[in-house]
Amino acid sequence: MHSDSGAGAQSARKWIGKSIPRHEDLRLLTGRGCFVDDIKLPNLHHAAILRSPHAHARIKRIDVSKALALDGVLAVLTGKEVRERTRPFSVVATSPLQYYCMAVEKARFVGEPVAAVVARDRSIGEDALDLIEVEYELLPAVVDPEKALEAGAPVLHDEVGSNLVCHRLLRYGDVDGAFERADLVLSERFVYPRYTSMPLETFAVIASYDHFDGMLTIWSNFMGPFIMHPITARALNIPENKLRFIVPSDIGGSFGIKTSIYPYLTLLALLAMQVRVPVKWIEDRREHLLASSSQTDRIGYREVAVSKEGTLLAIRSRLYDNVGAYLRTPEPATTFRPIGNAVGPYRVKNIEIDAHIVTTNKCPTGPNRAYGCQYIYFEQERLMDEIARKLNLDPAEVRLRNFIQPDEFPYTTPTGGIYDSGDYPRAFRMALGMIGYASFREEQKKARAEGQLLGLGIATGVDPSVSNMGYLTVALDPEVRQRHDYLPKSGAAETATIKMGPLGQVTVFLTTTPQGQGHETIISQIVAEELGISPDDVTVVDECDTAKNAWSISSGTYSSRFASVGAAAVAVATRSLREKLCRIAGHLLGVPAEEVEFQLGKFHPRGRPEKALRLSHVAGTAHWNPRGLPPGTDVGLQVMQTFSFPRAEPPDQKDRVNSSNTYGFMVDIAVVEVDRETGAVKILKYVSVHDSGTIINPKILEGQIYGGAFHGIAGALFEQLAYDDQGQMLSASLMDYKCPTAAEAPKIEIGHVVSPSPFTPLGSKGAGESSSETAPACIANAIADALSPLGVSVKELPLTPAKCWELMRSRSQAKETI
Amino acid sequence: MNIAVQHLFPASPGQLWGFLLDPKRLARCLPGCETLEEVAPDRYIAVMKIGVAAVKGTYTGRVEITEKQAPFHYKLSLEGSAAPGFVRGHAAMDLIEQDLGRTLLSMNAEAQAGGLIASVGQRFLSGIARQMVGQFFRNVEQELNRAGASAVPSPVERGFRE
Repeated sequence: MHSDSGAGAQSARKWIGKSIPRHEDLRLLTGRGCFVDDIKLPNLHHAAILRSPHAHARIKRIDVSKALALDGVLAVLTGKEVRERTRPFSVVATSPLQYYCMAVEKARFVGEPVAAVVARDRSIGEDALDLIEVEYELLPAVVDPEKALEAGAPVLHDEVGSNLVCHRLLRYGDVDGAFERADLVLSERFVYPRYTSMPLETFAVIASYDHFDGMLTIWSNFMGPFIMHPITARALNIPENKLRFIVPSDIGGSFGIKTSIYPYLTLLALLAMQVRVPVKWIEDRREHLLASSSQTDRIGYREVAVSKEGTLLAIRSRLYDNVGAYLRTPEPATTFRPIGNAVGPYRVKNIEIDAHIVTTNKCPTGPNRAYGCQYIYFEQERLMDEIARKLNLDPAEVRLRNFIQPDEFPYTTPTGGIYDSGDYPRAFRMALGMIGYASFREEQKKARAEGQLLGLGIATGVDPSVSNMGYLTVALDPEVRQRHDYLPKSGAAETATIKMGPLGQVTVFLTTTPQGQGHETIISQIVAEELGISPDDVTVVDECDTAKNAWSISSGTYSSRFASVGAAAVAVATRSLREKLCRIAGHLLGVPAEEVEFQLGKFHPRGRPEKALRLSHVAGTAHWNPRGLPPGTDVGLQVMQTFSFPRAEPPDQKDRVNSSNTYGFMVDIAVVEVDRETGAVKILKYVSVHDSGTIINPKILEGQIYGGAFHGIAGALFEQLAYDDQGQMLSASLMDYKCPTAAEAPKIEIGHVVSPSPFTPLGSKGAGESSSETAPACIANAIADALSPLGVSVKELPLTPAKCWELMRSRSQAKETI
Repeated sequence: MNIAVQHLFPASPGQLWGFLLDPKRLARCLPGCETLEEVAPDRYIAVMKIGVAAVKGTYTGRVEITEKQAPFHYKLSLEGSAAPGFVRGHAAMDLIEQDLGRTLLSMNAEAQAGGLIASVGQRFLSGIARQMVGQFFRNVEQELNRAGASAVPSPVERGFRE
């Protein structure tokens, strides 16, 4: 691990900053994890789902009689009943588009549910699906977001009237003026594909309905945000306090994908309410690839205005985001989540974003690691290299000339982001040193002389964490946000409860629905640090039960929020518990609370260690002897505390919004070789330097960084959810969808710079997405550099061997004007 | 998926035409064809057993013949479905008279697959289609030879593209 002197500030801490082993691993590695599929309920029945084989078709008739007649089948549900029994899900934009948990009248993508069966077991359910007769009237399909906007294109939603479901033109600063002043203008069209996260565990749901008291309980591997709880209650027309979400302690990965499970929660709820027995559905891998969720694919036109010194003056971005068949909440968040950090790490003051959100006959999209940032950095970092080439400057130098400087923090971006801390040049130089930048061009020259295609690529980015719920409302026109009956959205909060028993041991309750991130370990480190106890004395219960736990609509683990807001909630709750303990101890010792020292599990008046009281004595007083407590003190030792970021405000009238609350920094640099014969890309060296503030557990952080970088590399080189032009999905198995494995995993050297956040109690920031945002750009730049002697330009991912091979045989050039 | 293929047959256009539009003889030549039943003039119901990699199924399909210009041209439309998905397509068939009493059959087909076949078997589809069409032509040729048409040089196949 490379780290700079900033990390030294952490050395005074005993547990924070230590790579203690993950508490969760023993449970998981010995097969004792508790996942949804491990939950056993009496009289459990199983659902199977019939899916449309057509990308766009009117459902003329569904005959379920033969399926219902099959022994072991309890019920069959079709879109007709879904429309009668539910309301369409709430949609973020002001679009009349209607989205239900099942196709109603029309199927709009291959894999869309058209009927569901409840049966004694899954195999009977699957057999019953074969007996359902559906008559379709085929309609023309469209899958390309630009073609979907052409006159005469098939329209998916008649009530919308076109496939443009949301459009915002956002202008910050004087963009036109900057383009007029520019010495150099570059523009390019970029295509960013659809890929996903492929969590090991697929979607899993069990629904159970008690028709006597009207309580609907749903167990699932939903990961938040819990805005989906009121959305589900509303769709089902039931009171929110009769809807209970339970998320078990273990989820087998998500990376954003499982946010979009909620239509299935509604579907399973309808089935359970109908048959009055618990109903379970575990998604199979093909269903997951066809019809769960994925990242949005984007066609982006980016234009940059630059001075002859290489200073970035303005950016114009016109984008077409393909959200698939429906605008499924939280979409179009892909488009607006990175608004605050749209300029990345650069000082450019003028930016225009012309955002088109388009429906096509593909599976609906949703959050996926790197959420919205991957496109920005891919386009911008590709162009940074083009700027360097045009101006005959070093690509590293061009970036250094544009970085926000360390004395400018907190830095307000033109789009409203408030970058909390950072030292971008220092982190950048560390990465250059690690890759051996100074000597690379010589090596490259030699390699080229021997006919090798060797290239180096750099990508930098600002890593936003803890989204402000308000950013999403940038999708709405400011006039809509001004109406008197409009409820503004804002905030980023997390709640933690900490409880100390009479013997002085601690239990912490959270609702962060971790999916493998090691929250239990991290929480035990924070509590141990704050209370001067051992992490082994801390038990963490991180299971969410909306009927029992303290939770908010922003609960969950998404938007890289845990190390920032989750850790903050635990820290403030623990501090308040500690204050209460000191107050009690002071009372017992006859000194003011401020004069109590609390160390190694003992309390004593300052300077008089011989008068110490054990922790169990002080904690025991709170439980066993309320009369011994200072006047006005609550009995017991349970503290529930919410941490809420004060700068998570709604967007202003000029659409500026601090879309996240902490902002890290990363730089990725790769050296690759492209095989002249096959087009295959080999990563020879990869370095990644991060600044995510205070590091709580370096091993866990590096796991996140490695995973993020590899996720991005997978998107750059391997993965694509491919469709034909009629909307048929061509990659619905793991033979066709290339998920890289350990065999393709490169060695990644990781470095750290630590600029603690002034906005969080521990100084930590999120890092769950990190290099997944920059790795695609980094690899693309490295390949572009390798192929530069051939005069070709890289504008599209994934760069599979076939694509690189084609590129090597093309001679296209970026359009440019000077 | 576009399939363009030509095949030289040892028969006159008239003989070939008579063969290709005879459901009984056709059924014998179509690989995997279980039944081919005429339900109306130029409309047939076909049941075919086809396996694409691991995706096997019995397809029930409608076949329709239009644009008939005997004995030189017709258009074949097909739509079939089974549990693993569906196939649909159309083919323009041109019979071009050659020397030595032979006929060049030119087929230009546009086909589409959906459902499981498309999402899992896509990589195999064109190969399977190529194999099936080739098999069909060889079967027809054998039948024609058996029927005593004059011997001709070995057939020429060319021009697959996707």
